[in-house]
Amino acid sequence: MNRKISRRAVLGGLASSSVLLTACGRLDNATPFRQLLALSDRFTLGAERLILANRPLVRELSVAQISAVFPTNGTTKPRGDSYARHLDTGFADWRLRVHGLVERPLSLSLAALRSLPSRTQVTMHSCDEGWSAIGQWHGVQLSRVLALAGLRPGARFVVFHCMDQLEADGNFYYESVDLFDAFHPQTILAYGMNGQPLPVGYGAPLRLRVETQIGYKNAKYLDRIEVVDGLGALGKGRGGWWEDFDHAVWYAGQ
Amino acid sequence: MTSTAQPVRPRTELRHPWPVRVWHWANAGAIVILMLTGLLIFDIHPSLYWGDDGHAGVAALASLTSPDLAQAVPSVELQIGRWRWDVTGVIGTVVDEGDSGKYLLVAAPPADWEFGATRGWHFMAAWIVGLSVPLYGVYLIVSRRLSRRLLPTRAELGRRSLATEIWQHLRLRRAHGEAAARYNVLQKLAYLVVLFVLLPLAVLSGLTMSNAITAQFPVLFVLFDGRQSARTVHFLIATLLSLFLATHVFQVCVAGFRTLMRSMITGRFVVETRLRP
Repeated sequence: MNRKISRRAVLGGLASSSVLLTACGRLDNATPFRQLLALSDRFTLGAERLILANRPLVRELSVAQISAVFPTNGTTKPRGDSYARHLDTGFADWRLRVHGLVERPLSLSLAALRSLPSRTQVTMHSCDEGWSAIGQWHGVQLSRVLALAGLRPGARFVVFHCMDQLEADGNFYYESVDLFDAFHPQTILAYGMNGQPLPVGYGAPLRLRVETQIGYKNAKYLDRIEVVDGLGALGKGRGGWWEDFDHAVWYAGQ
Repeated sequence: MTSTAQPVRPRTELRHPWPVRVWHWANAGAIVILMLTGLLIFDIHPSLYWGDDGHAGVAALASLTSPDLAQAVPSVELQIGRWRWDVTGVIGTVVDEGDSGKYLLVAAPPADWEFGATRGWHFMAAWIVGLSVPLYGVYLIVSRRLSRRLLPTRAELGRRSLATEIWQHLRLRRAHGEAAARYNVLQKLAYLVVLFVLLPLAVLSGLTMSNAITAQFPVLFVLFDGRQSARTVHFLIATLLSLFLATHVFQVCVAGFRTLMRSMITGRFVVETRLRP
């Protein structure tokens, strides 16, 4: 679902509150308020890193609780010929590149990823739109892949570059997490869902499951993983597609 | 002896010490931001569920839906439990997003509003409420303001006292003299419920929607019976708080806007002591 409705939205209902919200929207675009929001997000990050200091696992549910229907969101099929070719060949030529601040850059096929020790987890996906659904995910812990590559000094964030564009403007979806979330035991690169290979609508051939986080951080259609020391040089410098183009919060308060 | 009426002798007292005023205005601002941004977050998915599984296709406790958004004038249905009403043209705005299709919202946000920033504002304001409500609770107890001003006396809770107070409120009678210097029993009960029930539950149900927080405190899922139930409770509390806010502002107007605003800003309140002959 595209949430950038506001651009074409007309003033309806909410007569009095819209005035206030418009004021908020204006303030929002002014630098000091952006900085205030960024400060608040960093405060949330700091507080939650403290709360999660002993690295608790998020709740895992039983197979019986898996949602009968799991909504698809964002891109449901990447545009362009190159993804279409991958679909035709069953992702045989697809490779996950791991590069950036790593000792050993990697290029992993789907078979190589599947041959690594796997983790299966039934978890709840929470979308910032308000809905949630329960799914089973099969994949390899991101920490294992990062360990294969070996982090170099200065590594602070892991960036997920994707094969899809939410809008046909040339900007590919991307997301990023800090090393805490990256090395969380339930953070996996999922190639399967509910006992099947990952379907196209859910991010085939490989997606991120970062269970400590909100929906949009769970990047689909992974192309490459980049380890960086800062997020400023990517996109508009805010660490993700929604962050760049809709001012979503980077840490997301999860 | 003479029975001449004694003159009115105004007495100024410190009604609201600074912690009360700071807490009041910080939370007033924060709660207005929370209400507005909360409404916008709800707006994008106007359905309420119970348990953990809640999305399009799951039976909702209440929802605003449209069977076919592709129609020229899509019909809109409000569902609460088993009841359904056709609210086409009354509630709901359909927004056309071209390639991405059409979306049904309760109401359209301002034209330049970005959804992504909504949660940022919501969390920033939530920090103010989440941190200051427990602190304020401690302050009320330690300063004995809770026992002196907020807890109703046994006599006030009597049936007769309550009935009188409700009758006075219904007639919009304002209190005078020493009676105006105290909180009346309905006011005390309302403040206690907001402070010790609604605001803590709002914070806790909000935290239950966080994957990270519930990882550390899974008991939250037990308390609210799941994430979607917590969201539903969060919505109901917001509705109750909105009713409180509307009543609160209305009562301030009834009881004397200028005097009460002055006392919440400067702390000082003038008590008109009229001594009876």
